[in-house]
Amino acid sequence: MLRISGLSAGYHGGTVLHDLDLDVPEGSVHAVVGHNGAGKTTLVHTVAGLLRPSAGTVGIAGRDVTGRPAHRIARAGVGLVPQGRRVFARLTVAEHIRLAHRPPRDGGGGRPWTPERVLDLLPRLGERSGHRGTDLSGGEQQMLALARALLGSPRVLLLDEPTEGLAPVLVGQILDLVRTLAGEGLAVLLVSPSPASAAQCADTVTVLTSGRVTARLSGPAVRKDPGELHEALALTAH
Amino acid sequence: MGALDAQLVPAVDGVAYGLLLFVVAAGLSLAFGTAGVLNLAHGTLYAVGAYTGAELSDGTWGGLALGLVAGTAAACAAGAVLSAATAPLARRGHLDQALLTFGLALIGGNLLVEGFGADEMPVRVPDALDTSVDLLGHRYPAYRLGFIVMALVLAAAGTWVLTRTRAGAAVRAAADDPEMLATTGLSPRVVHTGVLAAAGALAGAAGVLGAPIIGPGPSTGDTVLMLSLVVVVLGGLRSLWATLVAAIGVGEVQTLGVSVAPDWAPYLLFAAMAAVLILRSGRGLAEPHGPDHDADPPPDPAERLRRRLAQVPWPGRGAPAARRAKAAAAAAGGTGAGRTAAALRAVAPLLALVVVLAVLPMMLDAYALSLAGYALALGLLAVSVTVVTGYAGLPTLGQTAPFAVGAYTTAKLAENDWTVGPVQVVVSAAVAAAFCVVTGPAVIRARGTTVLMITVAVGELTAIAIGQWKSVTGGTDGLAGFPSTQAFWGGEPLFEELAIYQYAAVVVVCVVAVALVLLRSPAGKLLTGSRAAEERMRASGHPVTRYLLVAYVGAGALAGAGGSLLIAVQSYVSPADVGFEIAALALLAAVIGGITSVIGALVGAGLIVYTRDWLAGSWPGHGPLLLGVLFVAAVYLLPRGLAGLVSGAPRAVVADGKDGAGGADGAVGGGASAGLPAPRGPGDAETPEPPESPEPPESEHSPESPDGPAVPGPADADPPVRIRKGTT
Repeated sequence: MLRISGLSAGYHGGTVLHDLDLDVPEGSVHAVVGHNGAGKTTLVHTVAGLLRPSAGTVGIAGRDVTGRPAHRIARAGVGLVPQGRRVFARLTVAEHIRLAHRPPRDGGGGRPWTPERVLDLLPRLGERSGHRGTDLSGGEQQMLALARALLGSPRVLLLDEPTEGLAPVLVGQILDLVRTLAGEGLAVLLVSPSPASAAQCADTVTVLTSGRVTARLSGPAVRKDPGELHEALALTAH
Repeated sequence: MGALDAQLVPAVDGVAYGLLLFVVAAGLSLAFGTAGVLNLAHGTLYAVGAYTGAELSDGTWGGLALGLVAGTAAACAAGAVLSAATAPLARRGHLDQALLTFGLALIGGNLLVEGFGADEMPVRVPDALDTSVDLLGHRYPAYRLGFIVMALVLAAAGTWVLTRTRAGAAVRAAADDPEMLATTGLSPRVVHTGVLAAAGALAGAAGVLGAPIIGPGPSTGDTVLMLSLVVVVLGGLRSLWATLVAAIGVGEVQTLGVSVAPDWAPYLLFAAMAAVLILRSGRGLAEPHGPDHDADPPPDPAERLRRRLAQVPWPGRGAPAARRAKAAAAAAGGTGAGRTAAALRAVAPLLALVVVLAVLPMMLDAYALSLAGYALALGLLAVSVTVVTGYAGLPTLGQTAPFAVGAYTTAKLAENDWTVGPVQVVVSAAVAAAFCVVTGPAVIRARGTTVLMITVAVGELTAIAIGQWKSVTGGTDGLAGFPSTQAFWGGEPLFEELAIYQYAAVVVVCVVAVALVLLRSPAGKLLTGSRAAEERMRASGHPVTRYLLVAYVGAGALAGAGGSLLIAVQSYVSPADVGFEIAALALLAAVIGGITSVIGALVGAGLIVYTRDWLAGSWPGHGPLLLGVLFVAAVYLLPRGLAGLVSGAPRAVVADGKDGAGGADGAVGGGASAGLPAPRGPGDAETPEPPESPEPPESEHSPESPDGPAVPGPADADPPVRIRKGTT
């Protein structure tokens, strides 16, 4: 569903991501782990169109969207839950939902997401409907960011450190939610510095070091024996 | 009770005036808050509506309706054009956009005068409303009551769209975080265009309906812009209700205030504006997020051209590597010849200035020479803007205030027979510096666009004070008829153009030499460092605020010296010589020069004066138009100023990364200066190591850190004009 090949990207003429290949099939979770500065957020931003790649291609459902502006990529079926949530400070929850709701143009993947369906999945948001983005707790903001991404009925969901700064009980809930969404046919790219959360829900784990793929492991194997993943990360500590 | 009753009519007038301003200012505020465009052409959009409405008004309802449709549509289209014009500059920050819109305002104003004449245009309101009604025992014009109703409808409709519709939510989301808006599938650019077009439509509609209140004339655009800026500042960007209250307040000051206390009302507006800005600096008028300024460097046509040229094999041109090695060796002081070369490069800009100033009189006729004298006075003002904006990082439109103080000081000195030039210059500079000690604390605490607004207020307050304080300043008539300046003790009074020019040139060379020495001293480096990385300088224990104050006061002295020259050159001064337009010209001159180039600012001032006065002499009545074109061309074609044109030349940078002796004055000398934000382009791989800034080594970071926000460092800075962001 999401196919990245030979992708390079960076800032101010410098390159951060080098020649990266990555595939996320429909209904699966692909986790990318790496230390700070490995290029995880750069990867997510490049896929979402917030950063233009210097080389390589990004394909969504067989369509090449490389270098398109962010709003076109969003319409091509990419939803982003960014690092730090970035909910709109001055919009209420209800306004977020109204703004983000966009019926899929071509029927999309499975069932389209409507406000009702999102509120069924995330009932807490219904209770906070009149509150502004900044009045929500961290967990609620995360829910809202997820709702915002889902309301475009994406085929590919990009999650950038969705468990950052959340209480452990919420972390578990979010990761369960990620599994549920993948179960409904979404292709999920999950970026995280924590190998534990990656291992918990991923089908495939990619280790990113200084912008290059240094290991690729299968999720079940990591769950059985996290040693290899830890080794790959430790190796990349510097 | 009787007094209250007597003021009823102006009080109701104030409501009408205030609602008019609300409709206009809401658009201005929206455009700034959402699209990040400080639209200095917003007043012109109102004028477009007002002229159209007046032209089509014929005393019938149909005429009013036709005017409303046509005026709104015309201003809406003009707003869309503004959006298209500013979009390519989105990554270059607010200052470039403000200059561009100011240029377009000059062009638009000139075209309106051309099309509709230079006189105030009469407006015919529909006959049914051209009467007066009884209002609590007073006769009151029916049209104004009708206007209040129409303005309320307009304001309510706009507010409803903004707060109750999906489009309104998109606008507010775009103001918060345009990138996240894009990830929901909506194009921020489309939203920005929509906002500017809608703001234009609102201003146009207000212009048509408000033409009988603020009528169409040559100064309409400026008046409306200034009052709207005051409203926006007072109301902040957050709440429409606050904007409404501010607008009514300003309306009342303009009507009731003028009726009750005519001497004080003018001060009240700008004093309130300054007070609010100072109280809120740091949080009040928050910088809108706007587009991402940390993205790739914007395209620079000059850079492209230069790289193209660099590929041409010039005879006698060494390979870049060899050139670099040579420069490094020279700067490291390895050889005596190298040291001489470095020293030469340090004084080259000044030498070039001296040579050019010496040669000029041979090439110019008397009129052109008198313009050159004026350009030198304006040039010092531009140099002062360069210090404040380029070095201290505080974008200013208020250096005309110390410039005015200097000018009037010299005029008063001359009136009292103190006619010796050097004394006039030194005393004027000192008085202007003292003035800046007083105003400085208000300016230096703020950052970004807030500074621009505060300095506008400072400049306007000074101009108003000059206009009002007739016994000392001669009011709007100005001062004239005082004895001419002597170049030195016992010298002849300066009458001849050549003598005046020579005097001005010598003063400018001396003042600029002092400024350059100071800017390149360690003190100058500290200033540069605190602009490039203020937080880190503070964290390293540097009293950044004190540095900024010193810089601001020093710049005030420069402007004061410029003001003194102005008197020597034109033997006359009036508030028009120190108004907002001059402030904008000085800022443009600094930007044309490359914002950190002292010599560039002087060249920019020359370019502006000759465009406005000499070139326009051959096409009378089009001075503003030509200036506007110059603004637009400068912003588009010279994103890094004249200094950027030659910064491809070898830079004087030492091999070990310490600051070299390179000049800021790329325009004439040799390339972007060490320690200054070296313009960065894709070609930087070919240039020597960017210089270190005066910072502790432990604050190093990798400019490539991909996760988290990139910390702007001196090495990976900078678009040419980097304004301090809105935090303290």
